[in-house]
Amino acid sequence: MSVLLIHSHFGAVAPGYAEAALEGRLAIVRERDLGPADFARASGLITTTHLDQIGLLAHAEPLTALLDRGGRWFFNGHMLRSFVAGLGRYVPIEAPRRPDYKLTRLYEHPIFAGIEQSELEENKGVAGFYGRGHNPLPEGARAVNGIGPALLPVDWVWARPAGGHIFSHAGNDLSGMIGDHGHGAVLTQRIIAWCEGRLEA
Amino acid sequence: MSILAVHPGAYYHIESFESPRHAGYFDQLVRPEDLGSVALEEHNVVLIPCRTPADRMAPHAARLRAYLDGGGTIVATGESESQLFLPGISFTPQPTNFWWWLTPGADLGVRIAAPEHALFQRLEQRDITWHLHGWFDAPPGAEILAVNGQGKPILYIDDVTTAGRMVLTSLDPFFHHGSHFMPATTRFLEGFLPWMRNTLDRKASQ
Repeated sequence: MSVLLIHSHFGAVAPGYAEAALEGRLAIVRERDLGPADFARASGLITTTHLDQIGLLAHAEPLTALLDRGGRWFFNGHMLRSFVAGLGRYVPIEAPRRPDYKLTRLYEHPIFAGIEQSELEENKGVAGFYGRGHNPLPEGARAVNGIGPALLPVDWVWARPAGGHIFSHAGNDLSGMIGDHGHGAVLTQRIIAWCEGRLEA
Repeated sequence: MSILAVHPGAYYHIESFESPRHAGYFDQLVRPEDLGSVALEEHNVVLIPCRTPADRMAPHAARLRAYLDGGGTIVATGESESQLFLPGISFTPQPTNFWWWLTPGADLGVRIAAPEHALFQRLEQRDITWHLHGWFDAPPGAEILAVNGQGKPILYIDDVTTAGRMVLTSLDPFFHHGSHFMPATTRFLEGFLPWMRNTLDRKASQ
């Protein structure tokens, strides 16, 4: 089994994903071609900020089944549809200012091991690219990174009671985080590894 | 009076079309895959937002052309590769400099080309200035509304290619506004959407 990457935008996927597909670790499926079988043969799922969230609702059943059997889903973006029971709706920061973009590590998750959160906070000295709000923390989920003085959970991981895990990053695709420190490629590999179950949940 | 918006379903589309701030400008939403089941001619404007995947629109190219030939108006914003599903578009992409504004005194080069146009009663130059993704070679007779630093069109109205009207831009306001990201894009929509309602929401031939 491999990890399913739903390819939502028109154009090439990130290089790290393309390489993983060549290695047979990732199945990249154009979103408009998705079918239940793509979920059935996947051990994990990666979705991008360009996900057709309305379209994904049509796949709620195989998506839930993937999680129920222990699959992992890495979600990038703002959750504006309820795909799975327990998920909430994205909350933007109103009129954010620089202090609202401060990032704080709340839990040492292996996806971020060795990467200082401050190194993701700015790109060319400018903050605000990482995230500008949060997807509400499901009951029982663990906040990984907090944003702003209120430490809003911009990243969290949820061991779903019915099975499986969801990692939420409420910002642009984490794999595209180039920034001053160039962590995007490492994060891409770790996201895939996490979805494969090779990193601690 | 009716504006139909194509709804590809990404979060930035959902935020742009469904949040109360602007939802009133979109009388009906249609998924790209459902365009074949909608009577386009019942709508004065069909809006195709930024970052609509072109392969979801291409199957409907002939239907869109027929709608234009019948006097309809299509508005298409940037990063959707509109030339792949709309007629008469010649587009040249350009690398985007996301950082131009970090240089003190820098000028992206965007200019209003038709200051007397009604749209610019609602928009200033700073409201159309954020990124450049490419330019168009507009057909002779098209009305050029804004240009890049080389004088190439980035926003224009084409009422010569078809019997209808196309309002085309390489600017991508829905993407950034819907991402809660760039105030200029919100200002753009605050000016553009009322103009779309007041001016475009009628048959081009009227």
